[in-house]
Amino acid sequence: MSAPSMLRGGVFVALLVTLPMLGLQHWFLNLLVFVLIYATLSSSWNLVGGFAGYPSLGHAGFFGIGAYTLALIFKDHVLATGYEPFLLLPVVGLIGALIGWPIAVISMRTRADVFAIVTITFLFVIQTLAFNLHDLTGGSQGTALPIPPFSAAQFEVPFYYVMVALLLFTMGLTFATMRSKLGLSLVSIRADEDKARGVGVRVIGVKVLAFSVSVGITSMVGAVWAYYESFIYPQFAVDPLITIAMVLMTFLGGRGTLWGPVLGAVILESGQQLLTYQLGAVQLYLIVYALIFLVIILLLPRGILPTIEDRLRLRSRRRRADAEGAATAVWPKDTAISSEADHANMLGGGAT
Amino acid sequence: MSDLLSVHEVTKVFGGVRAVDGASLSVKEGTITALIGPNGSGKTTLFNIITGYLKADAGRVEFAGHDVTGSDPGRLYRQGLSRTFQQARIFPQLTVQENLVVAGGYGWRKLFTSRVGREDRLRADSLLEEFRLDRVSDLFASELSYGQRKLLEFAAVLMSSPRLVLLDEPTAGVNPVLIETMERHVRERNAEGITFLIVEHDMTFVMRLCDPVIVLDAGKPIFAGAPSVVQNNALVLDAYLGS
Repeated sequence: MSAPSMLRGGVFVALLVTLPMLGLQHWFLNLLVFVLIYATLSSSWNLVGGFAGYPSLGHAGFFGIGAYTLALIFKDHVLATGYEPFLLLPVVGLIGALIGWPIAVISMRTRADVFAIVTITFLFVIQTLAFNLHDLTGGSQGTALPIPPFSAAQFEVPFYYVMVALLLFTMGLTFATMRSKLGLSLVSIRADEDKARGVGVRVIGVKVLAFSVSVGITSMVGAVWAYYESFIYPQFAVDPLITIAMVLMTFLGGRGTLWGPVLGAVILESGQQLLTYQLGAVQLYLIVYALIFLVIILLLPRGILPTIEDRLRLRSRRRRADAEGAATAVWPKDTAISSEADHANMLGGGAT
Repeated sequence: MSDLLSVHEVTKVFGGVRAVDGASLSVKEGTITALIGPNGSGKTTLFNIITGYLKADAGRVEFAGHDVTGSDPGRLYRQGLSRTFQQARIFPQLTVQENLVVAGGYGWRKLFTSRVGREDRLRADSLLEEFRLDRVSDLFASELSYGQRKLLEFAAVLMSSPRLVLLDEPTAGVNPVLIETMERHVRERNAEGITFLIVEHDMTFVMRLCDPVIVLDAGKPIFAGAPSVVQNNALVLDAYLGS
C-alpha cells in the first residue's frame, strides 16, 4: 500500500472514530448513522454491480431478509446489555449469503438488463412474502424488535460504531478484492465476459462468490437498521428505493472504486436529509436533489472519482510529454486506428 | 506428424443458412495451416465451434486425441487451445500488463493472491518487451491503437503456453510494418513448437507463411494442399472469382 493511501485511510478511520466524541447533537448523529448505512450498502453493491458489472436491483430484498432474520431471532427476547443483536450479525450475514448463492447461480445466467429484471423480480417476491407471511413477519402490521436498552443520551452511539465497523470491513474487503486476482477477474468479466471465459477465468464461480458476499453484507446492514428502528414494516424493510439509492450512490461516486460509493453516499444521503430539514416535509427537496444529481451526472458521467482520476492522469501525461518531447512521449489516446508514425515508434523507429 | 486438431462432419445452421455444412479437416502438429475462403464461407463460424464459443448442430471436434465437442472455451484454453478474434478483443479497463496476467490462467487457489504477482510481472514483461509493448505496459488497454491491440491480443494468448493457436484475420486493418512483425512472431513461436491455424484474407501473407492451405467454400472444405498448388486450383479460383 502506498504512503498516500495509508494516510488517507488513517485520516478516514480517525475521523470516523472521533466524530461522536465531539458532542454532536442527536439529529446529526442520526444523520451520520444513515450515511454509514448507505455507504456500507453502496460499497457492498459495488462488489457485484461495480466490479463485475452486474446491475442487481434485488439487493433491497436481502436488506429485508437481514432485517426479518434478526427480528425472528430476537422475537419475544428481553435484551440484557443490548449488544446481543450485534454479536449475531455474522450469522445474519451468513444466512443472507447462503440464500444469495442459489439466487446468483440462477440469475447470473442472464446479463445486463435481463439480470436487472430478474433481480428486481426477486425483490418483489420477497416483498410479497413479507406482506403475506403473517406468522413470520407480522404482515402489513409489521413486527417489533426488542427495544435497545441504551441511554437516551448515548442512543445512536453503539449503532454508529457498529456501522463504522461494518463499513470498514466492507471497504477492507473491497480493497483486498481490488488488489487480488479476484478483482482482476471481476473487471475482466465486466469488460467482456465471453472473452474472460475464453481465457480461463472461472466466470461463474467468481460472479456467484461476489454476489453472495455482497448480499451477505447487505443483510447485516438490514439487521442493524431493523434493530435501530425497533419496528419494521414490509414496505420500508423491502423497499425498491433502497436499491435505487445504492445504485445512484455508487454511480455518482464512481463504480468499481474503493471510495466512490462512500463519497456518493455522503453526498446523496446527507444532502437528502439536510434538504429535508431545510425545506420541510413538502418534498421540495426532491427537486433540488434531482437538480444536483443531474448537474453532476452531466459534468461527470463516469462518476466523480474516475473523472477526477482521468483528468489528473491526462494532466500528468501532458506534463511528461512536454518534458520528454511530444514526438516520442505522446501515445495515441483517442485514435482507433494508429498511424505509421505510431508503429515506427513502437518498432524503435526506422519504418517507412 | 500426427493430427493435433481434427474436425469431423461438423454442421452449423443459422435459421435457413448452413454456415458450416458437414466440414471435415485436420491440422497437423507443428504446422502453420491457413484456412481461407470467400466472405461468408464459414471460416469464423468453424473457428467459434472449434474453440467452444458456438455449439455445433452435428459433428465432432478432437483436440490432442480427445473428443472436445461442445467443451467450454475456458476448459479448452487450459488444455492448450487458444485463439484471437477478427476484431481484437482486449479488456479495455485493465492495463496492458494486466491483460496479459488475466490471460495467463490461474486456478481458485491463486484467485486470492496479488493482482499482479512477481512471477506474473516477470512473465508478462518479457512478452511485452518481445512485442515492443513494454513502453505502454502501464496504460489502460483502451488507450492503445488498433494495431497495438492486435499485438496485445496475440501476446496474451501466448501467456497460457498454448499448443494450438487460432488466429482470426491477424493482419486485418494492420499496416505493413506490423504485418511483418506479426509474421515474425508466428514463425518464431512455430519454431518453438506451437501449431497455428490462421484465417486470413491477405493472400501474400498466407502464401509466404502457411503450409498447408485449406480452402473453405459454402461451409465445407473444397481443397487442401501446398500454397503453390492452391493458387492454380480450378475449384479454388472458381470459389473466389466465380465460374
